[in-house]
Amino acid sequence: MILRRDFLKGASRAIVAAGAISPWLAWAADDSVAVAGKDGMILRSYRFLDLEMPPEYANSWITPVQHFFVRNHMHEPSTLDAGDWRLSIGGEVENPLTLSLADLRKIESHTVTNTLECAGNGRGLYQPHVPGVQWQKGAVGTGRFAGPRLKDLLQRTGLKPTGKHVMFHGLDEVPGKVPPFIRSIPIEKAMDADTLVATQMNGAALTKHHGFPARALVPGWVGAASCKWLTEIKVLDKEFDGNFMKPAYRMPNEPVKPGESVNPDATYPLTALAVKSLIASPSDGATLKKHGIQIHGAAWAGEADIARVDISTDSGAAWQQAQLGNDQAHYAWRLWSYNWKPNRAGEYVVMSRATDSQGRTQPQTAVWNPSGYLYNAIDRVKIHVQA
Amino acid sequence: MFKHRGLSLAVAVFCGSVAAAQSPSLPAGAAQAKVTTACMECHESRIILQQRLSKVVWAKEVDKMVKWGALVDPADQDRFVDYLSANFPADKPAEPAVRTASEKKK
Repeated sequence: MILRRDFLKGASRAIVAAGAISPWLAWAADDSVAVAGKDGMILRSYRFLDLEMPPEYANSWITPVQHFFVRNHMHEPSTLDAGDWRLSIGGEVENPLTLSLADLRKIESHTVTNTLECAGNGRGLYQPHVPGVQWQKGAVGTGRFAGPRLKDLLQRTGLKPTGKHVMFHGLDEVPGKVPPFIRSIPIEKAMDADTLVATQMNGAALTKHHGFPARALVPGWVGAASCKWLTEIKVLDKEFDGNFMKPAYRMPNEPVKPGESVNPDATYPLTALAVKSLIASPSDGATLKKHGIQIHGAAWAGEADIARVDISTDSGAAWQQAQLGNDQAHYAWRLWSYNWKPNRAGEYVVMSRATDSQGRTQPQTAVWNPSGYLYNAIDRVKIHVQA
Repeated sequence: MFKHRGLSLAVAVFCGSVAAAQSPSLPAGAAQAKVTTACMECHESRIILQQRLSKVVWAKEVDKMVKWGALVDPADQDRFVDYLSANFPADKPAEPAVRTASEKKK
């Protein structure tokens, strides 16, 4: 957080001026808050830093770093020195390794374009409310991540047959007696050719907020799998036993009534993301002229592909197919658009509904769960159309 | 394995998230000062202001935070739950979100 009064006063004036046009009106500008490297993000918390992408930025296949959401469970590392940084790889391996950043850069790099979404994206939309960061729609973004394949690193160590899970530990600074942020993924996902130890994002070194100098990148899975400021990889004979594997980041085995609590033993760990879409424009609450409105946004489905996106302009009574954008990659969202010519002025509810290659379709209502994970109800915005 | 060696070039380039910033105050009330002291040790107020929870869920959250190191006198714990559930109940309208400054508007 930095205080730059002159610049910020100008910024807040500009935001107020933009508000006169439309969607910015919904937001209060806070002229005390600026985050280096970040631009116009929704501030959920600055300590620990949690920033949400406003939906209108889902208009670009690759999300610029300044608009990419940030989710931290703890303090970011207070010091990070690329020269001192080391990555250790041990556990159920024949030859434990320690790599410097220079070592990592000598290993063949692979690029994966991945839509990263926080498991709790949409938590704030569940009823009844559940505790946690009250994300609405924008704890999601698509980045082009690059670095060595995790499997290339693991193969150098000689995996033992007992190695069934791979644990990641980063340099997050743990407050109080909070359990450290340690999670694990099954060996099959760790050995997937698209699972990386990423050092780059969108063609540049990772920034601090995104895990400099290296992070895990577990494509198609909930963001929490992609541990930032990675410093330790450990091969385990079973799933890591710790708070952020259980009870956190799990879904009930069976649907529960909204508001009910769940025994952690009747839950399973989150892995891949759900099918979901996001309306980037028009913004919720916008007033628009009726002469040709382009409805557009993004849709993603974790490890599956988007098959189609349908749009309703009449609160869900009729649906029309949107056009999918040309840019595509296995784990990345598809942009979509639909040109709409409303034939009357008035109030409208515009909806988007994605369907994926596994036949999954967004539901009217997301499946409530006590931690508010994987919210994926049909997206909707209310707009006013002028004559 | 990873040594802390003070500010490096990398930090000079990438830091910028930590310094004094203005957080809204928690609402007035009997436990305001103690809740502020205990919670702001790690968090800032916005994470509390955005919650909308029943008293039962607030009680579980306070329990969890105490277990995780929040300094709450056991004699005060019920007062924390009363204060939080009275000020941030499930049926209160959502807190308006704010945006960080825009770097484009220089």
